[in-house]
Amino acid sequence: MMEATQDMAIASPPRDSVQVRTSKRVSPVWIKAKAMLTSFALAMGGLALMLGVWQYIAHTHEDFPGPAATLPVLWDMLRHPFYDNGPNDKGVGIQVWMSLGRVFRGWMLGSLIAIPIGLAMGSNRAIMGVLNPVVQFMRPVSPLAWYPIGLAILKNSETAVVFAITVTSLWPTLINTMFGVSSLPEDYRNVARVYRFSRWKYITKVLIPYSLPHIFTGLKLSMGIAWVVIVAGEMLAGGTGIGYFVWDSWNAFSLEKVISAIIIIGAIGFMLDRALDWMVKRVSYSA
Amino acid sequence: MALAMSTERQSRQSDDYLVVRDMSKEFQSNGARSVALQDINLTIKRGEFVTLIGHSGCGKSTLLNIMAGLYQQTDGSVALEGKPIVAPGPDRGVVFQHYSLLPWLSVRNNVFEAVDAVHKDKSRQEKYTLVDDFLKRVGLHEHRDKKPSQISGGMKQRVAIARAFANHPKVMLLDEPFGALDALTKGSLHEELIQMWSNDSQTETVVMVTHDIDEAIYLSDRIVVLTNGPAATIGEIIDVPIPRPRDKRAILHTPEWADIKERLLYLLTVEYAHAA
Repeated sequence: MMEATQDMAIASPPRDSVQVRTSKRVSPVWIKAKAMLTSFALAMGGLALMLGVWQYIAHTHEDFPGPAATLPVLWDMLRHPFYDNGPNDKGVGIQVWMSLGRVFRGWMLGSLIAIPIGLAMGSNRAIMGVLNPVVQFMRPVSPLAWYPIGLAILKNSETAVVFAITVTSLWPTLINTMFGVSSLPEDYRNVARVYRFSRWKYITKVLIPYSLPHIFTGLKLSMGIAWVVIVAGEMLAGGTGIGYFVWDSWNAFSLEKVISAIIIIGAIGFMLDRALDWMVKRVSYSA
Repeated sequence: MALAMSTERQSRQSDDYLVVRDMSKEFQSNGARSVALQDINLTIKRGEFVTLIGHSGCGKSTLLNIMAGLYQQTDGSVALEGKPIVAPGPDRGVVFQHYSLLPWLSVRNNVFEAVDAVHKDKSRQEKYTLVDDFLKRVGLHEHRDKKPSQISGGMKQRVAIARAFANHPKVMLLDEPFGALDALTKGSLHEELIQMWSNDSQTETVVMVTHDIDEAIYLSDRIVVLTNGPAATIGEIIDVPIPRPRDKRAILHTPEWADIKERLLYLLTVEYAHAA
């Protein structure tokens, strides 16, 4: 949608030529506003479709709350997000905050492991040969399978969740970094050779700037995985977090709260994705 | 003035400067060997401007890359001032076909990083002074903070030329530097290149790959014509005895121009006609 808006802006002809040729001048601001309104209307259409399907399921299934029953519950949750009535009754804001903390810790730790290994694998065939089978073997393992391993090593359910996030979310960053580095064009490598760049200059001025868009795309995908894993992890670990909140609400027979939590999880996941997408665009360059 | 300059040029020329002897180059791909160049014997004098011309695929860029030290020859020797060339070095500058500017660096920093890597003894301030000096010479000082994507192809190649000359190499190697440019831009870059070579820099010797006959005659002291690949070799070496400085329009009417152009056209279109 972002691209579509920009294309429309570029497609608008330069002012002068329009003034000469036509009497009705279309302002570029209006073209841009129109494009934004169109994309907003389309997004609203998608949202309405989702609500329709939800309403239909609620209508045909007994005991399944529809939008009319759920949205007041969601509103109530959002109105007092940070209340704290002891260990078993906390506001959804507190739960989300706990989850975000774990996600960031796991994701950061995973990135700190994945980026250097990806750089090494992408620039050295032998390292690639040794580590690639390991990567391909570990990558498809489910996050839930890592949880007991983390528990056994770390003896703490919260750090075990962070461990599971680390181990499952680091792969896209690792693979994207590796791919970015190994796709460095020969032209840039030759520049470094001809001007005899030191190893440090080569890494900081050629290799990393070239791979940065790839690395950040990896970080974005890793964040997506981390946010998916947290819910499952906290369901197992219990105690706090949005995942625990989902499970606790289910046990309390409040599907309204479960659905409300899903809406919150989706919205936050969407915002995280947008934020990292913005960062990808910031580090990108046009050749 | 023309005479004074050409004698000065002549006095700077001395024999056996850049020497290629019995050189051949083979490439291996999927186990199959292919001979790109064979029996290459070429002696370039100090202070000379030499162009390598031939059809695409004849290995002229390969020969240049071997002189640059980016490739290694399979057989024979390549030496500069008696020292064998085994790797790229600060004594040889290279201007690449596709500009090869780093797109994430500004114009100024593209030149700076190269200067910084080569002139290790200079202070940061001195390096930036040198960079700005060379950017002024190619008329790009006011565009110094732009990224390569924000400037035209001709400007990009000017940056690449400034980057290469700012490092004071003794020999400048250019790989079809103007191939992608329009005729007018090409013309003004010819002037700038000649200016750099003859006055503004410490570079004395130039080897340039081209497939443009007019460009080769206008710029060179000698033109090396390569036969068609695979297994290309030097077919003929043509002297260009037109005195410098050369006037682009005036030389069109000299008998030398006509003779050399006719000879080159004959070689490239009849003798080594491309098997199309």
